[in-house]
Amino acid sequence: MTTEELEQLLAQQPIALLHRLARGRVQRHFRAGKRRLIEVLLRHSAENRAGFESDLMTLIGEKHARPAPPPPQAPAIRKQKSSAPQRRTTHRPVEPESHEPAITLSSWLEGLGIPPSKAFVPDAWQEEAIAKLREGDVVVSVPTGSGKTYVAVEAARRAIAENRTVIYTSPLKALSNTKYTEFSKIFGAEQVGILTGDRRDNGQAPLLIMTTEILRNLLYDAGGGEIDVRLDTLGLVILDESQYIADPERGVVWEETIIFCPSQARMLLLSASIGNPHDIAEWITSIRPTPCHLVRHSTRTVPLRAGYLHPNGKLTPLFRTVGIPHGHPSYLHPEAKRLFLQYEDETLPSHSRR
Amino acid sequence: MPPSIHPVDLILALRDKHLTPAIVFLTSRRACDEAMQAFDHSRILLPPPRQQAIADVLDKVIAQYPSIAEHPLIPTVQRIGVAAHHAGHLPSWKIAVEELMRHGCLDAVFATTTLAAGVDFPARTVIITQSSIRKSRDFMDLTIGEVQQIAGRAGRRGKDLVGFAIVTPSPYIDLNVLTKGFTGHPEAINSQFLISYPMVLNLLKAHPLDQIQPILAKSFAQFQLNQRAEVLERKLDDLRDQMEPFGPRVCTDWITEWQTFDQVRRQKSHRAPVRKHEPPEVAARFHFLTPGRVVGFGRSRGVVLRQYRSKGQKSPMITALRLGGGITESPASTVTEVSDRVLDCVDAPVYPWCTPESVEELLHHLEELPGRLPELPILIPKDDEPIPDAIVQTLGDFACPTCPSRSACQRDYPLAAKLRQEQHRHVKSIQALRTSLWHRFQEKIDVLQQFGYLTPTAHLTEDGEWARLIRIDHSLLITELLRADAFSGADPAMLAAVMSSIAHDDDRPGAFPRVSSGLASLLGQVRKLAASLSPHEDPPLLRADIAAVTERWIGDPGLTWIGLCKSTTMAEGDIYRLLARTLEFLSQLHTLKATHPGLTDTASRAIAALRRGVLEELP
Ligand SMILES: Nc1ncnc2c1ncn2[C@@H]1O[C@H](COP(=O)(O)OP(=O)(O)OP(=O)(O)O)[C@@H](O)[C@H]1O
Ligand SMILES: [Mg+2]
Repeated sequence: MTTEELEQLLAQQPIALLHRLARGRVQRHFRAGKRRLIEVLLRHSAENRAGFESDLMTLIGEKHARPAPPPPQAPAIRKQKSSAPQRRTTHRPVEPESHEPAITLSSWLEGLGIPPSKAFVPDAWQEEAIAKLREGDVVVSVPTGSGKTYVAVEAARRAIAENRTVIYTSPLKALSNTKYTEFSKIFGAEQVGILTGDRRDNGQAPLLIMTTEILRNLLYDAGGGEIDVRLDTLGLVILDESQYIADPERGVVWEETIIFCPSQARMLLLSASIGNPHDIAEWITSIRPTPCHLVRHSTRTVPLRAGYLHPNGKLTPLFRTVGIPHGHPSYLHPEAKRLFLQYEDETLPSHSRR
Repeated sequence: MPPSIHPVDLILALRDKHLTPAIVFLTSRRACDEAMQAFDHSRILLPPPRQQAIADVLDKVIAQYPSIAEHPLIPTVQRIGVAAHHAGHLPSWKIAVEELMRHGCLDAVFATTTLAAGVDFPARTVIITQSSIRKSRDFMDLTIGEVQQIAGRAGRRGKDLVGFAIVTPSPYIDLNVLTKGFTGHPEAINSQFLISYPMVLNLLKAHPLDQIQPILAKSFAQFQLNQRAEVLERKLDDLRDQMEPFGPRVCTDWITEWQTFDQVRRQKSHRAPVRKHEPPEVAARFHFLTPGRVVGFGRSRGVVLRQYRSKGQKSPMITALRLGGGITESPASTVTEVSDRVLDCVDAPVYPWCTPESVEELLHHLEELPGRLPELPILIPKDDEPIPDAIVQTLGDFACPTCPSRSACQRDYPLAAKLRQEQHRHVKSIQALRTSLWHRFQEKIDVLQQFGYLTPTAHLTEDGEWARLIRIDHSLLITELLRADAFSGADPAMLAAVMSSIAHDDDRPGAFPRVSSGLASLLGQVRKLAASLSPHEDPPLLRADIAAVTERWIGDPGLTWIGLCKSTTMAEGDIYRLLARTLEFLSQLHTLKATHPGLTDTASRAIAALRRGVLEELP
């Protein structure tokens, strides 16, 4: 392709495609109009013309592969991170035929108990998260109680072994205190410090625990030239419960922390299940020197069952199935449905029902 | 039928089915406390070895946190193996309950949903009694994410093969919210980027003004705004394709031409021409077409070099330097976009109306400008307003009646005009999405300049230098109080009391100790200032009764925690949180050592006096 042909081809593409092409190539490409964008892209393509052209062709191919012209509201098709560990297990195949009878209480309760104790074997996603931290930042989005702390601890252990400082932040002082106790037990009290607004316990320790606000303030002070914790040796920043980025009042603090986190430090974001963790990972990739890897899954380690307990003490399954019928909210157990209707009938003031 | 299951029956049912330990999420603290009272005379006691196990764990926790030794719930906890855990409790009590839970000593904990976030507190079973929670004084349905966070506490790794989330109804429960929550996907989360005064000061401390926009562009907020802009840009691409057949005809901008002609034609019949007048949008814009202004002409762009009126018709004209270097004389009406950008240019009395160096520079800047510029918001009367007489009078000037493309224009006009309107709307929205953060930032800059924290060139003033260290809510009020020297005569107790009334944002009523007259008058002053700042910062509640609690705690070093709690109806946990937040605010004042030595001295004395007893137990 001659440069002229390439230019023409680019000019024929919708601007959204050009922006996707510009991602990772051109800084601040969002600020450019189409003409300007083509200009910079052309200039950039000189460095690696073949790679550039092949990316362009892939994107064009992708566009044509789309069935119909996409409905205007359709969300952007994103390049799926090739190394994503597990695809979303969107709707699990719990769709028994409708003629299949609803389960009984006893089979719903079956299997309850304590598992035999066995040696600790890290999950694949835990290993993956720790390994990927070697290459760049990592976002973990997994259900509550999956074992995010293990990732934090192992990542911290490595960084400390490499003589790096680790900062662990949580949104709540109470949680910071719990982690302070927990980490002190794991690493030894002399290895762990905690910082609050007015107190500094063992502030020179390699593993420092604080709330995200305190870290944000440290980063501002470092930016202003006054530094009182050694950020130059900072190797790892762990933001636990980072779904707090969406908190109406405090969320901005997480954004500030991520924007100003020193580039030599790796970031590890631990989050409960959220709908768009890829957005977070893509965002971090776009503003930090190393790519951000996303580790996500939505399968609970300990399976969950839902039940309904009537005020008279009668217990029934909530759904027709033993497990939770993902994607089928109306798959109610007939008994639960009956009892709940009865409850509403008896408790709601009569005028609001007619 | 009772509106909800009795706590004792609940525990019996759970024990019977081996569903313990359980966390029972209740709607309010009061519901938790009442649930505990329900066990006062209950006979469903734990076997003695389990009671002993609880006592052993509690002893260990009490050794570390003596404040809970006399906790009124301890007897029930030991006898029945149930506990309550909510924001009304001291942190040390909550730690004790968490520790008991971790050791598997309890059958149930009654808790509010605040527990769902973060605290490591798993159980075999979670009982859900509500489908909404109180958020900033309003009840909101639980989101899918929240339902899953709550339900997700059920089933402990290594201790349970399965976990159970059980709904038990209470009045106002909506079962649909919960079933959707169980079976759905958590919602996408959205940025909540708030630009605060301290953020502006701290950014401008470290970066010059022209680097701020790129920094804001790094936010997740902008990332998400860009996603929305991309969607619109795709629509714009589509529109551009649809507009393809409606490109330039005999006249370049035939759509506008036809529109004007058509309207004039219709009005002509019933309006007599009166007096010469300009189209309103041209008149409105002409004021802004001053030297240096960047403007758009359809698809191309230029900089205004001068404005003037034509000799004969006195119509508004501009001389403009176009992209590519041409200098043109055009009617002001050909300008399609007036951007908010003005470039520097040194004007000259003769053609090209500015110095040759200026021309070079302008051209260079023009090329460097981003593709889309924010448009200057100019109020222009709507389309359907009567066309000014001037045009009506000059109907003869229109070429349309005899133009060869007349019929095509007439046919295409409705669709073309609609598409173009849509285009304009999208372009405007995209501009807003791309620039809204920056505009919000600039608004804050304006206020900070007005108050003298920033110079006109957006550098930190002397006051700005220290004010940026106050990074808490209501920072403007606090820094303004310091500038007004409001605390010059205040003792540690008064300073801390005012800080707590600024920090406290709960309007729950209650009974409180009396405030001293000195504090009352100081608070009056603070209230006045807060009210005067209200256009720029929401005033805090500034409750005197709340301030009085802090004043007493600091003013009387002999006062015990129990004594303090007895002086008010506020819950222990709330008092603790109030004092902890006050501590935080005071420690921010403490960072002003260099500029406010007197104040920081008072603040440290207040901190020292405040941190005693319960408040010393935790970091
Ligand atoms: N690979 C594993 N095998 C067995 N148990 C594990 C494993 N990883 C973690 N656990 C256990 O799982 C439990 C929950 O872990 P953890 O508290 O880290 O979860 P989390 O993901 O942080 O949850 P939360 O959302 O509540 O913060 C802990 O008791 C932990 O010991
Ligand atoms: Mg955790």
